[in-house]
Amino acid sequence: MKLQVVGVSHHNAPISVRERLAFTNGQARAAIGQWREELSDCEMVLLSTCNRTELYAAAETEVNLTPERITEFLIGFHDLTRDDIGKHLFTYDGEEAIRHLFTVASSLDSMVVGEAQILSQVKQAYQLATEEQATGPLTHAAFQGAIKAARRVAGETTVHQRRVSIPSVAVADFARQIFERFEDKTTLVIGAGEMAEETIRYLRDEGVRQITVVNRSRERAIELADRWQGQALDWGQLESALAEADLVVSTTGADEPIVTSECFGRIEAVRGQRPLFVLDLAVPRDFDPEIANRPEVYLYSIDDLSAACTRNRMARDKQLPSAHKIIEQETERFMADLHHRATGPVIRRLRQGWQKPKEEELERLFNKLPDLNDLERDEIRQAFDRLVNKLLHPPLESLRDESRHGIPSALMEALSRLFQLKD
Amino acid sequence: MVLSAPVASSATILTLPLASSLRMSGISITCFAASYSVVLLLEISRLLFRSGIRGAIMLGFAAAGLLAHTIFLVERAVSASGYPLSSEQDWYVVAAWVLAALYLYLTAYHRDNAFGVFLLPLVLGLVAAGAWLADPTPFTRRPALLVWGVVHGTSLMLATVAIFVGFAAGLMYLAQDRRLKKKLPPLRGLRLPSLEWLRKANSRAVGVALIFLGIGILAGVVLNMIYSRSDGTQLDWTDPVVLATLFMFCWLTISGGVSALYKPAREGRKVAFLTVLSFIFLICLLAIGFFFDTEHRKLKVEHETSPPVLSSSAMDDEGGTPR
Repeated sequence: MKLQVVGVSHHNAPISVRERLAFTNGQARAAIGQWREELSDCEMVLLSTCNRTELYAAAETEVNLTPERITEFLIGFHDLTRDDIGKHLFTYDGEEAIRHLFTVASSLDSMVVGEAQILSQVKQAYQLATEEQATGPLTHAAFQGAIKAARRVAGETTVHQRRVSIPSVAVADFARQIFERFEDKTTLVIGAGEMAEETIRYLRDEGVRQITVVNRSRERAIELADRWQGQALDWGQLESALAEADLVVSTTGADEPIVTSECFGRIEAVRGQRPLFVLDLAVPRDFDPEIANRPEVYLYSIDDLSAACTRNRMARDKQLPSAHKIIEQETERFMADLHHRATGPVIRRLRQGWQKPKEEELERLFNKLPDLNDLERDEIRQAFDRLVNKLLHPPLESLRDESRHGIPSALMEALSRLFQLKD
Repeated sequence: MVLSAPVASSATILTLPLASSLRMSGISITCFAASYSVVLLLEISRLLFRSGIRGAIMLGFAAAGLLAHTIFLVERAVSASGYPLSSEQDWYVVAAWVLAALYLYLTAYHRDNAFGVFLLPLVLGLVAAGAWLADPTPFTRRPALLVWGVVHGTSLMLATVAIFVGFAAGLMYLAQDRRLKKKLPPLRGLRLPSLEWLRKANSRAVGVALIFLGIGILAGVVLNMIYSRSDGTQLDWTDPVVLATLFMFCWLTISGGVSALYKPAREGRKVAFLTVLSFIFLICLLAIGFFFDTEHRKLKVEHETSPPVLSSSAMDDEGGTPR
C-alpha cells in the first residue's frame, strides 16, 4: 500500500511557480483522465488552489508509483521541465502524506491559518476525482479522514473563528455584527487603495451589491467602480454619498481628516441616525475620531483593527497546539486502520481455518444427536460460534494493537506459521 | 382588567401549591423548571469552555422541558375544576411556555447565538412567580363571559410575553452595541445576533405588545360593563392596577407613535431603552397585582365567593386569566 503526495505550496514556491503548476477545473478533469490512461492501477486526487497544487496518489499494490513518476506527470501535463519547478516541489510519503493532507484540510497549512475555504476546495478536489473514477479505497479513506479531522478542528478549537487580516476582522467581527444582511446596503469606498479593494472582496462575499466609489481622481474611481460593478461619483458629492451609505471604507492618502466632526454633523442630520459602519484604513485617519462617539456610528481605524487582529492571532495561536493534537490523533488512528487493513488476509484465513473444523464438529454432533429440534441446534450452533470468537479474540486483538505501530508483518508471519495459514 | 392576578385566600394557596402538585403523568412544575435550569447552566458554560455536543444536549433538555411543560398544562387544563388554565398561576405558566417555545425555536435556528442567557432567566422567573406568588384557584365555570375572559387574559399574557421578548432583545442590543463601540472582539460563547436583527425584533415586540395590550384592555372594559350591569359592582378606573395598565398602554402608544413619526427615534439604542423601560413598568404592574390589595383583586374575590344573582350572561366574573 502506497500513499504519496507531490506538489508545491505557498511555503516553498513563489506565486510565479505556483501559477505555472495550477490547474483550472477543466485542466484538472483532463489531467485525471490522462492519469487514468497512464496509471490505471493508481488512485489520485488533484488539489489545486491559488496557494497550492498537490497531487495525492495511492496504490494498493506495489506498482511503479514513485515521487519521480508523479513529478513527471505534473510537469509533463504543463509542458514544464524539472529545472523550472524541481527545487520547489515537496514530497511526502505514507504517514507524512496523511498528516499533510489532514493539516491542509484543517486549514492549519493555509496562508491565513483558519480560513474556511480550503476545506471546501479539498472536498471539491475529492469529488472531482471520484466523478472521474480516479479514487479508490485508499483515497476514499484518506480524504474522508481529512474531512473528519477538519471538522474536529473546527468544532473543538476556535482556530477558524479567529480572523487575522484587517479586512476579514473588519467584516466578520464587526460589520456582520451590525448588519444582518448586506444585499440592501450601500457601500461607499473613499479612495482607491489596495486594502479597500480587499475589503470589498470580503463584503461582496457577504452579499454587498451596491458599491459607490468616490476618489479625487475620477478616472481611478471609475476604474475601481467598473471592476466591482459599482458607480463612481465626483469628489464634490462625498457628503451626499456619505448620507446614503451604510458602510464606508476609506483609504485616501489625505494628510488631514476628510470628514470632520462638524462635517459629519451635517451628514447626520440627513441620515436620521441610520447605523453607519466606517472602516477608516487611512493613515493619517480620514475620519475625525470624535465621530465614533455619535450614536449609531461604528468607526474603526486601522489601529483598532490591528489590535483586534493581534488579539485574534494570540487567541488563535493558543489554540494551535490543540488543533495539531487533533491532527496527530486522527493521523495515528488513520494509520492504525490502514495497517490493520493489511492484516485483513491473515484474519480472513484465520477465521476460515477455524470455521471449517467448527462446521465439521457440528455436523458430527448433529449426526450423533438426531433427535435435537431446531431450537436446540441453534443454541448449540451459537455456543460453537461464541467459542470460536472467544478463541480468535486474543490473536485479533494482538494484530490490532500491533497495527498502531505499523504493519505487523512479524506477527502475521508468526500467526501464519502457527496456524498453518495458506493463501 | 389589568395585568395582575385573581386572588384566592392564602389558605387556598397553601393547600394547592402548584410546585408540588403531581399530575397523572407524575410531571410537576419542578420537572420542566429543572430542565430549563440545566439548559441555562449549559448556556452559561459556553462562556467557560467549548464543547462539540453541548448544543445538542441543550436542545434535548429544552425540548424535554417544553414537552413536560406542555403535558403539565394539558393535564392541568383537563383536571381543572373551573375554566381550564384560568387561574393566575396558569397564566404565568402558560406565559413561560410561550417564552420557552420561542427560545427553543430561536436556538434551533440560530445555534451559535446565546439567546438562552437572556430568555431563560425570564422563563424561570415566570415559572417561579407562578409557583410561589400567584393564586392557583381557577375561575368558576360561568360560560357567558368565557369569550371575553379568554380574550382579556390571553391578550394580556401575549402582551407580557412580547414585552419580555423585547426586554431580552433590548439587553442583547445594548450589550452588542457596547461591544462594537468599544471595538472589542466577540466574547467567547456569548455570540449575539446582529444589531439589525435585534432592532427589528425589538420594534416588532413593542408593536405586538401594544396590539395585545390594547385588545386586553378593551376586553377588560367589556367585562367591567357586564359586571356593572349584573350586580352593580364596577371596577373604578383609578384602581392602581387599572391605572398602571393604562399608563403602560399610553407609554407604548406614545413611544410607538413617536417612533413612527420621528425617524431618529426608531433607531437602535432608543428602542432598546424603550423596551427595557417597558419591562420595568411591567414588573411594577405585576408587583402591584401581587402585593397590593387593589379593587381589581377584591372584585375578583367577591365574584368568586358570591353566587350569581342574575342570569349567567350578566353575572360572570372575568372568566380568564389575569386581569
